[in-house]
Amino acid sequence: MGRNPTTVASITLVTSEGKRIVPTFPVFMCRVGQASLRRLALGPPAGGELRRNIATGCDITVTCASASESGFLSQWMAKSGLSRCRASREIMSNKCWLSCVALLAAGTVMSAGVRVAMGQESVDYERQVKPLLERHCVDCHGAEEQSSGLRVDAAQLALRGGDRGPAVIAGKSDKSLLFQALLGQGDLKRMPLDQDPLSKRDIAILRNWIDQGATYPGDERVRPAKRQSDHWSFQPLRRPPVPMLDNGHGARNAIDAFVRRQLAQREVRPSREADRATLIRRLSLDLLGLPPTMQDTRAFVNDRRPDAYDRLVDSLLSSPKYGERWGRHWLDSARYADSNGFTIDSARSIWKYRDWVVSALNRDLPFDQFTIEQVAGDLLDNASVDQIVATGFHRNTLINEEGGTDKEQFRVEAVVDRVSTTGVVFLGLSLGCARCHAHKFDPISQRDFYQMFGIFNSTDEYSASSRNFRVPAPEQTRRIAHLKPQIDQAERTLAAHDRQLLERFPEWEAGVTAAGSGSWTSVGQLKLSSQAGSTLTEQDDQSVFLDFSGPDQDTFVIEAVTPATLKRITAVRLETLTHPSLPNMGPGRAANGNFVLSEFQIEVQDTAGALQPLELVEAVADHSQAGHPVSAAIDGNEKTGWAINVKTGSLNVNREAVFFPRQALDCPEPTRLTVKLVQRAQGKYLLGRFRLSFSGGPPDALKVPAGLRKIVAIPAEKRTKPQQTQLENAFKLTDPRRKPIAQRVTDLRAQMNKVEATIPTTYVMQELKKPRATHIHIRGDFLRPGAVVTPTVPVLLKPRPPADKPLNRLDLARWLVNPQNPLTARVTANRIWQRFFGVGLVATENDFGSQGARPSHPQLLDWLATELIRQRWSLKSLHRVIVTSATYRQSSHHRSDLAGSDPRNRWLARQSRLRLEAESIRDVFLASSGLLFNRMGGPPVHPPQPPGIYVLTQQKKPWPEDKGPDRYRRAIYTYFWRSSPDPFMSTFDAPKANTSCTRRTRSNTPLQALTLSNDRGFFEIAQGLAARVLREASANDGQRINYAFRLCLARTASAQEQHRIAQFLEAQRDHFANNPKQARQVAPPVFPQHVALQEAAAWSATARVLMNLDEFITRE
Amino acid sequence: MHATESRWKSSTRRHFFRDCQVGLGSMALASMMGDPRAAVRAAPQAVAATASGRNPLAPRDVHFPARAKSVIFMFMAGGPSQLELFDYKPKLQDLHGKPIPQSYIENKRFAFLKKDQTLLGTDRTFVRRGESGTEVSTLLPHIGSIVDEITVIRSMKTEVFNHGPAKLFVNTGSPRFGRPSMGAWVTYGIGSESNRLPGFVVLQSGPRGPRGGTPLWGSGFLPTTYQGVPFLNGADPILSLSNPAGFDDSSQGDFINAVRDLNRLRYAETGDAEINTRIAAYEMAYRMQSSAPELMDLTGETRQTLELYNADPAKPSFARNCLLARRLVEQGTRFVQLYHTDWDHHGNPGTNLGQPLDDRCREVDQPAAALVKDLKQRGLLDETLVIWGGEFGRTPQGEPRDVRGRDHHLEAYSMWMAGGGVAAGRTIGKTDEIGYYPIEDRVHVHDLQATVLHLLGLDHLRLTFRHQSRDYRLTDVHGNVVHKLLA
Repeated sequence: MGRNPTTVASITLVTSEGKRIVPTFPVFMCRVGQASLRRLALGPPAGGELRRNIATGCDITVTCASASESGFLSQWMAKSGLSRCRASREIMSNKCWLSCVALLAAGTVMSAGVRVAMGQESVDYERQVKPLLERHCVDCHGAEEQSSGLRVDAAQLALRGGDRGPAVIAGKSDKSLLFQALLGQGDLKRMPLDQDPLSKRDIAILRNWIDQGATYPGDERVRPAKRQSDHWSFQPLRRPPVPMLDNGHGARNAIDAFVRRQLAQREVRPSREADRATLIRRLSLDLLGLPPTMQDTRAFVNDRRPDAYDRLVDSLLSSPKYGERWGRHWLDSARYADSNGFTIDSARSIWKYRDWVVSALNRDLPFDQFTIEQVAGDLLDNASVDQIVATGFHRNTLINEEGGTDKEQFRVEAVVDRVSTTGVVFLGLSLGCARCHAHKFDPISQRDFYQMFGIFNSTDEYSASSRNFRVPAPEQTRRIAHLKPQIDQAERTLAAHDRQLLERFPEWEAGVTAAGSGSWTSVGQLKLSSQAGSTLTEQDDQSVFLDFSGPDQDTFVIEAVTPATLKRITAVRLETLTHPSLPNMGPGRAANGNFVLSEFQIEVQDTAGALQPLELVEAVADHSQAGHPVSAAIDGNEKTGWAINVKTGSLNVNREAVFFPRQALDCPEPTRLTVKLVQRAQGKYLLGRFRLSFSGGPPDALKVPAGLRKIVAIPAEKRTKPQQTQLENAFKLTDPRRKPIAQRVTDLRAQMNKVEATIPTTYVMQELKKPRATHIHIRGDFLRPGAVVTPTVPVLLKPRPPADKPLNRLDLARWLVNPQNPLTARVTANRIWQRFFGVGLVATENDFGSQGARPSHPQLLDWLATELIRQRWSLKSLHRVIVTSATYRQSSHHRSDLAGSDPRNRWLARQSRLRLEAESIRDVFLASSGLLFNRMGGPPVHPPQPPGIYVLTQQKKPWPEDKGPDRYRRAIYTYFWRSSPDPFMSTFDAPKANTSCTRRTRSNTPLQALTLSNDRGFFEIAQGLAARVLREASANDGQRINYAFRLCLARTASAQEQHRIAQFLEAQRDHFANNPKQARQVAPPVFPQHVALQEAAAWSATARVLMNLDEFITRE
Repeated sequence: MHATESRWKSSTRRHFFRDCQVGLGSMALASMMGDPRAAVRAAPQAVAATASGRNPLAPRDVHFPARAKSVIFMFMAGGPSQLELFDYKPKLQDLHGKPIPQSYIENKRFAFLKKDQTLLGTDRTFVRRGESGTEVSTLLPHIGSIVDEITVIRSMKTEVFNHGPAKLFVNTGSPRFGRPSMGAWVTYGIGSESNRLPGFVVLQSGPRGPRGGTPLWGSGFLPTTYQGVPFLNGADPILSLSNPAGFDDSSQGDFINAVRDLNRLRYAETGDAEINTRIAAYEMAYRMQSSAPELMDLTGETRQTLELYNADPAKPSFARNCLLARRLVEQGTRFVQLYHTDWDHHGNPGTNLGQPLDDRCREVDQPAAALVKDLKQRGLLDETLVIWGGEFGRTPQGEPRDVRGRDHHLEAYSMWMAGGGVAAGRTIGKTDEIGYYPIEDRVHVHDLQATVLHLLGLDHLRLTFRHQSRDYRLTDVHGNVVHKLLA
């Protein structure tokens, strides 16, 4: 909701020194000191000039008319010698402007003083300047360290400058940051920081050197910058040798060798292998996010082949459900959601990206390619639709649609998010910290950040093609290919017909002109009456006027006799006329002046004196309200009718409708006619004033509405093109043979539109034709541009790309997955490990920097990372290595011997019990109950959710609860509104998708208990489980309990468990037998006929118990 | 309401889980042999009793005698301006519009302050109130009426500038995510006295949730049992509070007991303490089902009480939350945190020291004062520690924006406390003449945290949790109890 500047004045400010400062942009408000120039500025017409003298050091506030002027404002500030610019955006009542406070530099006064002291002594760089800089500045701004990206250990480097731009401008000490910093001018901190200032004499030396041209010897040597880090994760990746273990320690592969060597050193024994039922449930939950089926469990438990486990792993890895499980993990990183975020949070269509992720993982797209396509798929040669869809990865950023926001600000936020997300997801680095200042802990400078920012800074955020990139399904593509030639053909046929037809256009035009409007004859001697008692009176101009005090609905009856001059009637005209006494001038009696004419009927007296209806077959009007065409007045249906409201313009003008009988009515003698105006709409939608007239002219001409007749009256050469087109179109409609030909075009186009409307769209990355320049944002403020930077990767990270060559996203993507990059493979391998063990080898999986945790098994991490690359970045291969290790296959039971020494299981002497993620919890509910609907992909769905979710959101969200099978889809397909996800999701620690999430927390709260036990959606699924057990298991308690146990937990119940559940069942049966009403509420809606009601209810209650067990929502 | 006398004795909290495992395992078997229906009939008391000895939230011994049993922390999110509310500076009025004196900025390094911002005098009026003569802005007439019950701290000091990190710092002692919040430390340290409501409850009011979000009341590396439970502002404070249709209280009791017994068997098998947390969660959930609606039902409150708070029982507000806070501590909830948002008055339209500040003050002044009065007249004030304040203060310099406003200030700001062993009618600390730095009795956020724990009978040096091979504390490696604050 921008605001257009209304009045704009040119303002000239003149300083006390006589300097003129003229803004180069529209000024909305200007204030000098306390005096506001706004009133004055708005007073005279645009272009007037106002003068106001201003003194040095005076505040000037200039407010632009729009935020887009900010660039001009900054430039103007700089050019005008104004300094200490502070700009900000304000948001008030949907207006947006940019305000800026400037102070005239006080530096001139000071420097003048210095000049007097020093005179114009000639300065020698080598002898006088360089030693000064060495002594005072080079500690922080030299080859070892470059605060603010600045080095001054060589003159050319000082001239080149740092993050804020050149530090020295030859000949202009006042403009040189180096000199300003020595005085602490502007917003610069006084240098040297936290130390005594330089003496006046030293300052004068530097000043004079600059003013004298900042000359230096051409052969001054520049030492290479020494920025490096010995932090472990930045060191090259080398494949460590696999340790040899003395006695094997039950090792199955290299992973075990690394883990068990460490255990042996600590004299800790690994745990035994978990039993087979646990293993298959663990594998299924880890790889597919679903419990194993009973058949699969039975088959695996009984499979005595030595490679039974490996076969199971292979079969799970090839299941399409794998992509849904691992895709969900990736979508966390990608901050995927179905809405735009912030407070408005409107809907967004980007689910094609979600489907791409699922599909890419299912086909085991190598992780390097997986990365390249998501970061830069659009930049690949001959990029496929799929590869472009993949770039949705970085379009999952938020969009702020609030009134009064600055688009640029939130574009910058989105770019910052892309940099941060890239850092966290691929590099395990918190690059975002360097947005405002050098990273406090890791060797990432602010310049590094904005160089990376530059890579993402030239994206087209706004075009329809980037927000609504069309992704037709094959069927849709076929359909379009089928329709297109048909439409072309039909259009050609129509065009040919029209060419021929238009030859008769002059003839028609002449007819219209001849028919004129004078051929209408009013009928005198009216007899007016009404069925419900309206009072109608005839006016002098033969119009009929309705008195206000009548009924709401009525039928007017007008009896008339044709005049002798009228021998033939081909049309009847009804004019509806305005009048000052009608509401809003009428012409109707409704509050807004509208009316609804339900039916228009004419009866003719035949020779025998009887009234015969005259069949009306066509009606035209100069205007009809949408949904109330004039044809509705002759359709024989009193529920429809003609009305005249308008979307734009005035409804309260004269209108006319013309009605045509099937055959002309010959009336050689005066004939008696009765016209009935039926008006049945509720709310006094009656005609207020109208007039009837008749014509015997040619119907074609009479069908031309008054508006068109006015155009016909204009000589052809004076008509505008739209007018001419309007006429020709009207003429074309008179040709009955044209109608089916035109209809074919209309129909085909409608079919095409229907197909087009259902083509899914998605958000994608697109490069601007002309890249944006990237500046460092001083202190992270996008309104304070500093030095221009070349888009590239952080200087310290390997491998080094060619110096000073700007990189694009594709270069970045390839750099990320370059095997020389020490981070990406480590971070990726660690994150995969984390999914299988609950915590990564590096516990801070998103921080591999110096503040992150050290790896618990450094060599194992490097082995896994190199293994990932060696396996050609196949994620499934790395999964296979991990899940086939003895380390993974251990029991997760806690060990009292380790409770004190390794309570968090970092040594990996056992597996961990892990509570399932929110989505998996829903999925295991659905799978165990048999309700799960396994369809993959497509638009997000709306399963039941609790009421009242949108109470706190700014806009209510649509939630059309699915009633069909979509109600039971996997949770990855549930619609996710960022501002208001289903509370179940947050209760179970699902992220809100505002920023990348690479590790979820696992909480355990009473709210979770309430959700799983009481939420209506979950209970519905528990009823489903009960129905399934009653349907499928043998009809005795023991069998059913075991059956339910196997469905839920993939194991049989222990004797104690059997006993306890049997007790519970028994109690429930008794309870529900005595409470049939409750039993009906609790029992599944459908259950087998032979089962008693209390039995069904007792089983619903039992299913609810099983689905609330800790084990049910835990991977053991 | 004391749930149990069976207090668990231990010198450190860490032993709890180990011992707990043994205890629960054997108890589970014992309960198997009994008639579950007998237990059901006695629910919920039976549920409470069987779990009480081992409930991680059961009240626990403290390090030394406690002055306070519970805490109500009214968190004013955004950083209220102490210079408009509690810390009147005549000299600042004199210097209004002038640049800040060189002495404040020379040789100092301030990451975000700009040197050229001029000083801003307040346009608010201050008056001395009560016998103590504490100076309070007329924006807070009701708080002014209780100055003899409270102690104002004018010398608070924090470390971080931005809202999210600064809120985390006050709540968790660290500006980064991942540490337990104060409420979590407290319920971990001394458990809860309520076995019917969460030990740590969060109530929100104001136009939006506080920046920083759920980590502000998270449990960090402590067991998740200790995290704060946010109540919804609707008629139904907690989703899914009622049973599915057809389950009455007795069948819900059957359900809880069956889930508990089966979970215990699994615990006996796996030894995973997380199962005990889940058992406790189900039992708490069950009790919450009846107690939460009771809590929210304000029909039992007298008209005088409602008028005292100016609370509309049907309408969510800070006032209603204050009343709910009192009801929660009456029920034994240990830590109640009230967030009221939008105190971030930089000087933009809608967020400035004019009308928006008036509005915020009007929303909190009367209810906050009413809470103290109400607690006092019910004899609860002595054992309830009331805290009012935000994540930082605001600068003596004005911000060069359109309307009057101030930037974030971390060197000095004001909070007040009452009850629970805190001195009454006192003012602690003093700032310099423009309110920039404390010049007497500086109270660092870590000192405040140490003092809160102290009042609850906890030594902040001894309340630790071992994580990643080091013992962590709420106060990190800092913090001193502010003895001048104590009654």
